[in-house]
Amino acid sequence: MPEPTAAAVRPAPTGVIHDIGYQRYQGPRLGRRQVFGALYLHGLRTAFGFGRSAKAKIFPWLVVGIVSLVAVALAAVRSQIGEPVATYAQFADAMSWLVIFFVAVVAPELVSRDLRSGVLPLYFSRPLPRADYALAKLLALVTALWLLLGGPQLLMFLGAAFTTKQGMRGVWNELLDLLPGLLYAGLWAVVFASVGLLVASLTGKRAFAAGGVVAVFLMTTPIVGVLSILPSRAANELAGLASPSTLVQGVGIWSLGDLLVEGDPGEMMIGGFGPVYALAAVLLVAGATALLLARYRKVAS
Amino acid sequence: MSTITWITARGLFGRRRFLLLLPLPLVLLGLAVLCRSLGVDPGEWGPPVLVGLGLAVVLPVVALIVGTGVLGAEIDDGTVVHILTKPLPRWQIVLPKLAVAAGVSAATVALPLYVAGVLADSVRLGLALAVAAALGALAYSALFLALSLVTRRPVLLGLVYVLIWEGLLGNFVSGTKVLSIQQYVIALADRIAPTGLLETTVSVPVASVMTALVSVGFTVLAIDRLRSFSVAGETS
Repeated sequence: MPEPTAAAVRPAPTGVIHDIGYQRYQGPRLGRRQVFGALYLHGLRTAFGFGRSAKAKIFPWLVVGIVSLVAVALAAVRSQIGEPVATYAQFADAMSWLVIFFVAVVAPELVSRDLRSGVLPLYFSRPLPRADYALAKLLALVTALWLLLGGPQLLMFLGAAFTTKQGMRGVWNELLDLLPGLLYAGLWAVVFASVGLLVASLTGKRAFAAGGVVAVFLMTTPIVGVLSILPSRAANELAGLASPSTLVQGVGIWSLGDLLVEGDPGEMMIGGFGPVYALAAVLLVAGATALLLARYRKVAS
Repeated sequence: MSTITWITARGLFGRRRFLLLLPLPLVLLGLAVLCRSLGVDPGEWGPPVLVGLGLAVVLPVVALIVGTGVLGAEIDDGTVVHILTKPLPRWQIVLPKLAVAAGVSAATVALPLYVAGVLADSVRLGLALAVAAALGALAYSALFLALSLVTRRPVLLGLVYVLIWEGLLGNFVSGTKVLSIQQYVIALADRIAPTGLLETTVSVPVASVMTALVSVGFTVLAIDRLRSFSVAGETS
């Protein structure tokens, strides 16, 4: 075999790296906070389909449209008959199915696309801690959900404020009603976002993620219905713990009291278990977030 | 058993995510057993478990995941081309896939519903629920299979139908019940085994005719759409 020997005899190549004139980046290097902020903003824009094709806007804006329509209708009816049809918190409760659908639309867009197209290694090759990626997405979903519920509540507030007959005092009273409503919307947003994003982050297929999110939320509602007719008072009062939406309502009844149910106690009876509901909500959010972070600690694709 | 049937069944069962379907029927079974063992009046737990969970959630959601999965998954990852380029008439592709989807959904839903029906009232109610759920699974599967060919986002559109049309509007606007597969299923089950547990406003002739119409109509639509199907990339 002559060739290997010839190659061995040949002197080692003395290569030169030519400077072909690429410019080095001289500007300031932004840190972790800017990366987090950019990811958060991108997530929020993704949620409503901004910066993407018209097709991506159909479903989010369908939900936003329906929710706003209901809010405008409620405000109009209220200005006609002179008394509120639904409080701000009741409005959030009534929209729960649309909130579930919105989570099913947005959560897969936020996390499943990245899993499917395999861009996570690109993200994590930057100085971006893994927890930051998951938290930025979660924060984006929370904000989107809060805007979804809070925006229409603001519409209702404006409708009530402009038609009030008690002058500034009526506006001030209305504002005092609105603020707990916005807080309550925030509670909805945090609970639904943390659970929904966790479910969606398990699969890279948007179709399966959407189905999974809806299955998790819808499956739990009838469990509450069954638990609340069991022949045990404690079981009835704790029934709401079984489903995220009734869990949120339970916390709302405990913390907001008459703002939520206005006089008549309604179907939800939580008895003296209010603190249990609050604790369960905190544990649920914390647990879902911890599992989400654990999921992104070791994600291959 | 044609090759298409075989491929479709393997595509459904071969992946781990099929296990995601199991919790839904199990919860249904568990609740029925729990209520029965605690001696709650069937008139009270029947409607929330049989209708609220079984027919309103488990049946449509399982049919949605399976029905859009049999063809939609192949369209998504582009392997549908391999089937489309074979010298097969389109109906020989759509019908086996529909059969697998309807069969799997029916088996997943009808079995726990049968047990729950027996626990709630009688064997007759169980059989009625199982038969009606199987018919409903066929109608839902045809609808969702056609959806996966008509649009690029079949699951979300199917969710709009299940959540907003059947779930939200069905509760407030009674007119939409005439166009709701869920109501047909309830009407059919109530006709086979009349009990006080199932209530609907849709008449039985309407329900049976509409179920047949939905099943056949959307199957024909799916075959027609597959005839002129163009493979495109994922939506942005």
